[in-house]
This record gives sequence, structure tokens and C-alpha cells, in this order.
Amino acid sequence: MPHGMEHILSDLRVLDFTRALAGPSCTRMMAEMGADVIKVESAPRGDMVRGISVFEKERSLYFIQQNLGKKSLCVNIRDPKALAIIKELVAQMDVVVENFKPGVIAQMGLGYEELKKIKPDIILCSISALGQKGPLSSKPGYDYIAQAYSGVTSMIGDPDEAPYLPGVGMGDVSTGVHGALAVVSALRYRDRTGEGQHLDIGLLDVYYHYHEVNVHQYSGTEGKIRPIRAGRHLSYVCPAGVFRAKSGSVVIMAFLHHWKDLCAAMDKPELVEHERYSNDVLRLENRDEVVKIIEDWLQETFPDAQSAVDHMEKFGVPVAPVLSVAETTQHPHLRERGTVRTINDPLVGEFDIPGMPLRFSRFPDDLPLTAPTLGQHNKEILTEYLQRSPEEVQQLREAGVLFEKNS
Amino acid sequence: MTTQGTQHVLSGLRVLDFTRALAGPTCSRMLAEMGADVIKVESAPKGDLGRNFSVFRNKRSLFHVQHNRGKKSLCVNLRDPRGMALVTELIQHVDIVVENFKPGVMADMGLSYEQLKELKPDIILCSISALGQTGPLAHKPGYDYIAQAYSGVTSMIGEEDDAPYIPLVGMGDVSTGVHGALAVLAALRHRDNTGRGQHLDIALLDVYYHYHEVNVHTPRATEGAIKPTRVGRHMTYACPSGVFRGNGGYLVIMAIFHHWPDFCKAIERPELIDDPQYSTDQARLKRRDEVTTMIEDWLQTFPDVESAVAHLESFHVPVAPVLSVAETLDYPHLRERGTVTTINDPIHGDLDVPGFPLKFSEFPDELPLHAPTLGQHNEEVLTSYLGRSVEEVQQLRAAGVVVEENR
Repeated sequence: MPHGMEHILSDLRVLDFTRALAGPSCTRMMAEMGADVIKVESAPRGDMVRGISVFEKERSLYFIQQNLGKKSLCVNIRDPKALAIIKELVAQMDVVVENFKPGVIAQMGLGYEELKKIKPDIILCSISALGQKGPLSSKPGYDYIAQAYSGVTSMIGDPDEAPYLPGVGMGDVSTGVHGALAVVSALRYRDRTGEGQHLDIGLLDVYYHYHEVNVHQYSGTEGKIRPIRAGRHLSYVCPAGVFRAKSGSVVIMAFLHHWKDLCAAMDKPELVEHERYSNDVLRLENRDEVVKIIEDWLQETFPDAQSAVDHMEKFGVPVAPVLSVAETTQHPHLRERGTVRTINDPLVGEFDIPGMPLRFSRFPDDLPLTAPTLGQHNKEILTEYLQRSPEEVQQLREAGVLFEKNS
Repeated sequence: MTTQGTQHVLSGLRVLDFTRALAGPTCSRMLAEMGADVIKVESAPKGDLGRNFSVFRNKRSLFHVQHNRGKKSLCVNLRDPRGMALVTELIQHVDIVVENFKPGVMADMGLSYEQLKELKPDIILCSISALGQTGPLAHKPGYDYIAQAYSGVTSMIGEEDDAPYIPLVGMGDVSTGVHGALAVLAALRHRDNTGRGQHLDIALLDVYYHYHEVNVHTPRATEGAIKPTRVGRHMTYACPSGVFRGNGGYLVIMAIFHHWPDFCKAIERPELIDDPQYSTDQARLKRRDEVTTMIEDWLQTFPDVESAVAHLESFHVPVAPVLSVAETLDYPHLRERGTVTTINDPIHGDLDVPGFPLKFSEFPDELPLHAPTLGQHNEEVLTSYLGRSVEEVQQLRAAGVVVEENR
């Protein structure tokens, strides 16, 4: 355990070659569950995201958020002495995680077959944009590239215009979680059988996994249904989507048995059995009218989105205000649950990040984790894991094999 | 052994599954796809509400087929004390219980975590909900888009001066199921090591919030100077990156950071590489509209999207066509990887669904799983788990305690 607090993966040792977002989310999830994660960073710059987003005291807040609870080992990976140190560490690890372009880890001499020679039951988790195999696997990948290939981008926006991009890292973060699930499953299997394995996790597959109806609807109707973005409303029930209030927007899900509750909330009981609106099929056929009835009512009746939400909730209508990110950070429910949390970084002080999304009744919701400065744990790792003397560490530092920087 | 006779990483694991709709069933399906023995408890006579969604063939919902592959169906009348007694008896034979009722409903049914523990001291209970088991919003009815609105994610999709859009993919539900499966696996490993079970609280709200890779840490850290909001089709912190209009379709292009010089060569504008007005992401962000117009005008010189993608790829620019869902089904890479897969349902026949997104080197990419008909495994579960005779099962059937229907 790196932080002296027990959590569910406290016995686990992970060697982490990941950079950017998807890979680091995978290893951060493990660190948040107590694993001992050694982040190998390439000297002199380290993980590329130490150079992006917002900075305080030369320290990237982006880096902090994605690397909580990890130890940093910063080495000159081109130096054979550094590679030897890494191989020595592999022998003590349970899991290796990487998100290089497919093939790069093998070129470094650390492919699955090589790792197995060093540690026969090693689990290697390879995370990539488009997967380790298949015709697209060699292409450079970012979240939105995989999203475009998955068909998910085509499902966001108006059908007659270019689609929109969601301004959240939903592919990268969720791919990290998918990876962590595969790792923990493989780990349990290793515990029982003594056998490791290689895991192949791609953003493309994860984005594709999100299609809850689109793929089977197209396939199951022989192409009669061609799923495409449809604006602000669901395509298979109505009313369900984003509605404009006087200031702000609300999400209303008043389909199926919720329709009569919305009619009661609007004080329009005559619409419950109305010939144009009495079921979801009819309401879908007359969707523009339904949306107009609801939006007119919202705008004529309520000064803002929240008062409309409060009113509809009294009638049992599933409804929510569309909160801005700034509003979420103050919301009592998100605060009380720890959906949003304030962390205290030793260098930059307090700021907010998303909370740990898994809650275990036997463990605290949130360990007091910090993100490492570059090479912060060089000495600790070399002395404690590899039994080097402080003098030897100093020599490696002077030879440029090890690198440290306080940011 | 698994339900359908093939070994995978979780073979031997027994799960009692009370979930309905999408988020919960995704969690238990992930476990089934990894070989676990999952008994889906369905309330007689209608069963999971997901049996009534989406597209039907031979009265069977394709939605049900996609999300319940590999599970056994036990359809019982939960209002009949004899039905509840059967369920209670089954608890003693399983490792894990998964449920996604509204918070509090399990306790009302006499199946709270404390009560489950009395039946099986090391039980792991995974509770999945929209807004969580705790906090002021916990009791509200929840759907995917309700949680998405509260998370601030909806506020990040669309144009700043108009109502936001919703993505027509179940990205919150599906990813929440995966987060739940990760928590289950970690808890299971802990139980194997210590003999102790626990209660897990997994919520869509927390999962959506987890997607914010930059939005949460930027406002407070900049004292409100940055207020994250939707900004259309392009990223806010690097340029050019986003959705661009091509001839007859759209492309995602990420010509940011070190990719800019490659991009300038691809569009035969080498003078822009070092032009201070364009040479950095910051400079390009200041003139984003101009950069976007330049790129979209250039894209019009190609006859179609595919040829523009091929040209940009030959210069190593990260790029992708925005594929429609229909196009993904026959895309060679997605087929070769099994990102999209064809399953053979006993009632429907062939059907395309998203593939299993985790690839284990020691196991097949995909088990040959089927979704159960309603109550298909009543007799099997009652005889093999609970030692009932075939006659006793017939009596329960005649009394309406267990129900079967071929859909």
C-alpha cells in the first residue's frame, strides 16, 4: 500500500506505462482501489499531459486528476540501463498496463511474450484507440477518432446538419474502466490457476458497446430502421429529451405511464386520452406538437428551469434541470455523495475533480491520494523494490538514467 | 461450468440477478459474457420491462436479446410468499446479488443487504441506480438522461446559445453496468482473500460525472474564469480538432500538437507550419473559424469523404470518417475485431449486436450465449439449485408461482 490505508486492491502491484487519458484512467482506478501503481515516465518530459490544460505552479491540473495515487519513476527509456531497471521491476509486478500505439511495446522489448519470460503469470493490459488487431489498428488514435468509427458521433445533433462532439472524455475514461474490469477478472483467474494473460481493450469497442438499440434495430429490421441523430429527443418514445424553459433547459422523460403524470402537472387532463397523444406511438407521430405544448407551458408558467423541475417532481414526472458544470460543483446531492470531490494537492492546493465512482461498504469512499511530481519516487522504488543503495541511485541520476523535477 | 458449456474467466461464479431495463442487465451480462452463471429473476407474468422495448420479431424483443445473453430466466410471482421463499432460498447458493430497483425497494421486499447477509454471510450485493443510494436526490425516479442532465454532461453537447442535444446511445447505462462489474470483481477477489462480502453502490450520476476529464478541475482552479459549456463541433483546448464538413459527409480531424506540420503538408500549405499566426494550438484557437473554413473548403476538392480520409492518412494525420450505424455493420475493421458481432437467436435467427468489448488472450473473444425466454430455466434452477422434484416444479407452475412463456 502506498498511502497507508487499506482498500480492496491493496496487495496489488502495477507497472504503468500509460500516457494521456484512457490508460491513466485504468491505472488510476486501480490506485483508487489501493493498488501500488508505479508510473514509468520517459525523461525528461514525462507523461505528455504534464503539458496540457490549466497550470498552477507549473503543474498541470489535468495530470493531477488522472494520476492520483501513483508513484512516478522517470527514466531515460532509450538508455539500456533504464530498460534493465524496468525489466527488473516487471519481475515483481502482478500487472503491466500500456497504451502505446499497437506494436510499440514489443519494439521496446516489452511485448507480452518478453514479459512472460520475466514473469510467467504476468497480466498485460494493452489499451488503444482502435484495438491491437484489425485493418485500422496501426492508425494514430484519439477519443473522437474512435467515436467517429463507432457510429456514436453520427447519433449526436440534428439529422440534416453536421453532428456535434460531446465535450467530455467519455470514451477514454470508460475505456480505462473497461480495462480495469478485464484486469481484475484476469487477476482472479490468475489467483486460482497461476496463469496470466494479455488483454486487448479498444476505445472503438467501448464506444460501440454503448449502442443499446441502434445496432440491433438496423440489423433486426433488415435496414428499415436506419439509426441517425434526431436532435434533442429520443426516437422510440415521446416525450423524452431536452426541452427549452424560460432560462435554461430541462430533461423530461414523460413517456409510457409517465404521460398522465405530466398531463396532471400541466393541468391538461384532456391530453391523457387525446386521440393524437394517448400513447407513445401517436405522440411520436405528433412529436413537434407535443414538444410545443410542453415548451409553451414551461415558458409561460415558470421563471426558470428549477421551478419547473420542482413543480413536475410533485407529480412524479421523471425530470432534471440541465446543470452546467459550474452548477454541478455546488449541487448538494453531488457534494453529499462525493460525485464531485475537492482534493488538496501538495503543490497547487485545493480544487475539484470527479469523485471515485465505485463505493464499497468495507472501504472509505475516497482515499487521500496525491499525484506524483516527475520522478518523485525514483529513489524509493530503486531502494525498496530493487535494493539499490542511495549512492547507486545518485550515480544513475548523474548518468541521466533517472530524472526528477518538482512539478 | 458456464450456462452454455464454455469456460471463461468467471466460470464457476453464481449470480442472482434482479435487474431490469439497461444499466443493471449490462452489469450481469458482462459477468455472463465472462462465463458466470447468472440467474435472472423476472417478476411474473410480464418479466423484465426490457422484453417490451424496441423492435420485435416473433413477439420477442431484440432489446431483451442483446442485453440478456447468457442468462438463465427464473420467472416467479414475487407477490406470492411461495415465490419469495424460492428467491430467498436461492440467495444461499449464490456469490453475488445484483439489483437496480429504486433505492429502498430491495429492503421493502425483505432483501436488504443486512437481510441478505443473514442468509449468506459473505454475500456481495451490487446496487445500481440512477442517482445513488445516498444523498438528497436518491429517491427520485431515474433514467439515463436524468442522471446525464444532473452530471453536467448534457450541458456540454451542442451550441452555446441554444438548448443542448442528447446523444442517442446508452452510454451512461452501459458504462454504469461495466463500472458495477468492476466493483463486483474487486469485491469478489477481496471475499476470496478474506471471507468477507460487502454492499456496492454504483450510480449513473457518478459514472457520467467520471467522464469529465477537464471540465470539473478548470472552473474552480481558474476562479471561474473558465466556465465549461458546449461549444459546437470543436474541442476548446486544441485546434483544429473536431467535426468537419466533407463532400457528402463528415470527418473527424485531429491535426493538433505535433500533427499540424503533417496536416499542412497534406493540404499543400507548408508555409503555415511555422507561420506564427498558425504555428501553435493557442494561435489557431484564436482564429478557429478561419482555420475551419480553410479546412472545409479544401475538403470540398475531394469527391467524397473516403478519398479525403485516405489522403490525410497518407500524411499520418489522425482522421476518421463519421460512420453511420448502418455503415459500421459492414466495416471490415469492426467485423474483423468483433466490435460488431452476429449472434444467432433461437427465435429470431441472425442478429447484429455490439461485440463483447473485453478481449482475453486465454479465452475466446466471445462465448456462444443466448438470451432466455421468459422462465426458460425455472425447472433447471429449481431442480439443480434447490433440489426440487419435477413434480414439485409442476405444482408451483400450476399454482402460478412460476411462469413460462416462449418469448
